[in-house]
Amino acid sequence: MFDWILANPYAVAGLLLPIVIPLVVFQILPLLVLIERRGAAFIQDRAGPNRAYIYIPVLGVKLRAFGMIYNATDAVKLLFKENFIPPFVHKGWYLFAPGIPVITGLLGLALIPWFAPMSYVAGESLAVLSGQMIEANSGILLLFAFGGLGVYGIVLGSWASNSKYSLLGGMRASAMMISYEVSMGLSVMGMLMLVGSLGLTQVVEWQGAHTWGIVVQPIGFLLFLVSMFAECNRNPFDVAEGESEIVAGFHTEFNGVKFMTFMTAEYLHVIAASVLLATVYLGGYQLLPLPLPLDGFDAPWVDLNTLWLKNHLGIIAGLMLAGGGAGLLGFAYLLVGRRRTYQANDANAVLKAERSKEYGLYIAVFALGGLGMLAGAVASVMLMHTAALGQTINNTVIFPGWVNAVTAFIQFNILIGKAMLFCWLFVWVRWTLPRFRYDQIMALGWKVMLNIALVNLLVTAVIAKLVR
Amino acid sequence: MAKVIPRPQLSFWENIYFVEIFKGLATTWGHAQKNLIKGDFPTRNYPDELPALPRDYRARHRLMKRPDGTPRCVACFMCSTACPARCINIVAEESDRLDIEKRPAKFEIDLLLCVFCGFCVEACPCDAIRMDTTLGVMVADNRADFVINKTTLMDWAPADYPATDTQSQKAPGGSLHAQALADFNSGNRH
Ligand code: SF4
Ligand code: SF4
Repeated sequence: MFDWILANPYAVAGLLLPIVIPLVVFQILPLLVLIERRGAAFIQDRAGPNRAYIYIPVLGVKLRAFGMIYNATDAVKLLFKENFIPPFVHKGWYLFAPGIPVITGLLGLALIPWFAPMSYVAGESLAVLSGQMIEANSGILLLFAFGGLGVYGIVLGSWASNSKYSLLGGMRASAMMISYEVSMGLSVMGMLMLVGSLGLTQVVEWQGAHTWGIVVQPIGFLLFLVSMFAECNRNPFDVAEGESEIVAGFHTEFNGVKFMTFMTAEYLHVIAASVLLATVYLGGYQLLPLPLPLDGFDAPWVDLNTLWLKNHLGIIAGLMLAGGGAGLLGFAYLLVGRRRTYQANDANAVLKAERSKEYGLYIAVFALGGLGMLAGAVASVMLMHTAALGQTINNTVIFPGWVNAVTAFIQFNILIGKAMLFCWLFVWVRWTLPRFRYDQIMALGWKVMLNIALVNLLVTAVIAKLVR
Repeated sequence: MAKVIPRPQLSFWENIYFVEIFKGLATTWGHAQKNLIKGDFPTRNYPDELPALPRDYRARHRLMKRPDGTPRCVACFMCSTACPARCINIVAEESDRLDIEKRPAKFEIDLLLCVFCGFCVEACPCDAIRMDTTLGVMVADNRADFVINKTTLMDWAPADYPATDTQSQKAPGGSLHAQALADFNSGNRH
């Protein structure tokens, strides 16, 4: 057994990755909740939740971790709450409903190409490990199908709740899903027409060969972005929750861990939508939208594609580590300033001592992390020379396993980094715009977005035909 | 005649939303990055950093003390009569001094009932009850602990009160205490 694992690392990776990657991406969720809470607070000129702490006895520090502890306290609170089931609900469906959006969200993550397909030698022939966990020809259609299924959880939950407000919320969610699914499909169609395939890996590879989707399809991108806000039931389209009109909408009757599952699903859908946006319109795991004149302006410009990445792994890994290290050091510097303000606060001696100690710990951790990453950057530039490692077999350049693994890791991080931009956009927009009225949403969806999407599709079709 | 308020007409750029949305995003971004980098919020980290309450803020009560440390209260029930919330519970007993009739055997205030109106302070004929402690935060984990008794009410030190507050400084430990105690023993009660 163990020998087989060592002998077939790619096969094992192919088996494990479909489970590991969604679970790893799931870990963004606490971070997203933190960003949402503190981001909202910063936008609204307040400090935000930052008081829950874990006492570390050895260091004598009250670790608040910038409000991260609230994730733990919330989870504990919601898990240990009484699992109350109102007497009037349809018990079976009521208990089943919150799980549906979580499952569809996780399945959606499995359809994203997280890294470029890597070729390897399997016995006599060549084989390919795809970065897409579930490789289906229907690609993006399957993803939309899962996205559409997510709303079933909401509708089912609201129906099973057997309550007016819940039902209203569920009806709103389903109506909105139908109207925005149309413009979503039509807006992404322009991109798919240019690529000529439904597969997401092909979409990303096309963007690598040409340029990013946001450049060729800006209007499609905006429409898709707006539709994604509607798909995720996020502000300004969160009429399904509509707490000022229908109590809490579809999750009115849900409490404790069932409520938590619904909230998890909401954030999971935000992550999935961000990753999808990054994949289709921001080049997925591709590094840059344009070739660079690395060999001088007269030579052909170098396209920083996967092969180039594998050949220059040391430099790219070094650059990314250096960027991360600089970010951590910058954050540590920010914290130094914060610590100084706490130390200047003479009004409250206890607070002064506690906060100084706590921020000292943060600064040490972030500074050490940053310096470690800078050291890693130098080491990887000096030590990782991969250009000579590739062997050409059957016109395919085959790299050793570790090069493939590091490349996959870097590409995964590129995609996550792009997705985090969209995650912040989701939060940012939520705390900027007021909620649309329900009829405004319908008018916008059917009378405006659908038409723009159709015109965009038509123009793209004509141009694509002329160019080919 | 009803006044007709015309609906504001949106211009073309306002009607396509996106320009206005980006303006809004710019505003919120300004606030977010200022607060993230500078970190001086207009808000206060409330229970950690308490506001400095002025002396005339109606905070938790205290009972004033005579130079010999006994409460100035003569158990006249004026405060409990004036109290609109009926939250002062006094039990009187005979004083052991010949020149003072009564003293409180029990003096309780239920802070959960109290509406902090300050009528008790106004009603008191001998300046025995005050609300100038600046104790604005009252925390307890059960209802019984919110009923404060004579011991709690008299648990204060003259050093925490300004030197101009002569009544407080005459209590034991105050700057005017020695003179006041001599006067008090020679028969001058006030
Ligand atoms: S402040 Fe008002 S309510 Fe409170 S004890 Fe005094 S008289 Fe009663
Ligand atoms: S009014 Fe003053 S003296 Fe009379 S019982 Fe109340 S606190 Fe005591």
